[in-house]
Formats: sequence, C-alpha cells, structure tokens
Amino acid sequence: MTGPMNDDSLTIDLDDGGAIVVHGDIDMAGGPVLEAAILQHESDADRGQLVIDLEDVSFIDSSGLRSLLGASRRARGRGGDVVLRSVGPEVARLLEITGTTSQFVIASHRG
Amino acid sequence: MGDATSTDTTTVIGPVRLSVPPEPSMSRVARLASSGMASLVGCTVDEIEDLKIAVSEVLIALIEHGDGGRVDLEFEFVGRGASADGALDDRPAFVVRGSSPVEHLDLSHPDLLLCRTVLDGVCAAHAIELVDGAACIVASVACSATD
Repeated sequence: MTGPMNDDSLTIDLDDGGAIVVHGDIDMAGGPVLEAAILQHESDADRGQLVIDLEDVSFIDSSGLRSLLGASRRARGRGGDVVLRSVGPEVARLLEITGTTSQFVIASHRG
Repeated sequence: MGDATSTDTTTVIGPVRLSVPPEPSMSRVARLASSGMASLVGCTVDEIEDLKIAVSEVLIALIEHGDGGRVDLEFEFVGRGASADGALDDRPAFVVRGSSPVEHLDLSHPDLLLCRTVLDGVCAAHAIELVDGAACIVASVACSATD
C-alpha cells in the first residue's frame, strides 16, 4: 500500500506494525474501499495473519461485514486469521447479531 | 403530523420522504436524516444506532439487488398501536419504508440473507416483498420515546 486510501466516509492507512487502520464508517460506500485495501495489503505482504484496527470505526453494516468476512476466509485459507483490534460496541453487536464473532480473533475492545 | 397508517396508529412525526439515486454514498445521507428524526422524538442512543443499521440494510437490499432505479424512502415515528402494514406490535416504533424498481428479487441470495439477518437483530419487525415490479421493504425499530 503506497498511501492512504480514501472514500468520503472512510480512510485507511497502515500503522508501524503493519496493521490496517480504519477511520470512518464501514458501510456500502466504505466496505469496497476497505476490501480493496485488504486485498492490496494481502498481495503486498503475503501475511497469514491480518490485523485490522477499528479504534476509529463507529458504524458498520452487512456490506462492511462482508469485507471483513472475505478477509477472514482468505486468511484462514492461508492458515492465518484476521485479528480485530479496538473493537467498538457497534462492530461487536453486528458480529454478535450475525453469529460471526468466531470468524475473527478479537484482540481488544474499546468503549 | 403526517398520514397515519391506520386509525389505531398515531403518527408522531413524519412521514419524511427521500428519493435518492442508487448510490452507496446515499446510505450516509439516509442515516443522518433518520437519526436526526429519531433524536427529535427522544429515541435513546442505542435505538438510534439500531435505526441507522436498519436504514443502511434497507438501502443495501434495494441498491445492491435492485435494477438501478431511484430508491424511495419514507421515515415515520408512530405511537403505540398496530400498523396497517403489520410491521408493528403495540409499542412505539420508528418505521422505515423503502422501495425501488426490480423485476426479480432473489431472497435466497447470500448477501440478502445476511442483510435480513442483521434486520432480524435490530428490528422489532421487518418484511421484504416484490409488489408491482418494485422491491418493498418495511422495517420497524422499537423506540422507547413516548407519543
């Protein structure tokens, strides 16, 4: 990833540890932006484990969740996991509603 | 005071109608409009969060599975009483109605199933059906505000 990826409501960058840091809403507009960033990161890094920081995410819907689930499926195919960091109550609730919490490693919660 | 859906239902605010192009960015616009209305009637923060998710899921269903036509949305806060569309029980609720032209609606599509699973989690009731060449969705989010 050469620089931040942007949508009107979503910004993505990498921290020093290689985690994908998401800022904004992971909705119908932001979900594809996140998915593109994840795919680019996967091809760049070829990592089994993918860390996504959600500290600055306060909204997610099913289209955003699909991006995360796709990343999880691919990571598991490589023998790894998607690690979600700083998971807020909004994201935790959607994972619970959809029964998909177990598809991820939850490293930490916030709020 | 807008149109009541039945003699048993008191509309406290609305309906407010939006007609939006089938663009993903409109989800945010619709969420802002609906959450603004919900805050006016005193819905709690958690109820507003549920409403925002419901609105977003309605738009996902209509935009991603529609035929590319405009999406008509209607927001309404109704007091206690049964709704004519059968979407409510006896509690006050915020009702979201959406429609968009579509010839065929695959209710078993995995993405639409996920969408409906989310609606199950945040709505008191919801329904989606194909009516006269349009996909029509009604989603009701319970709201503790009193009418």
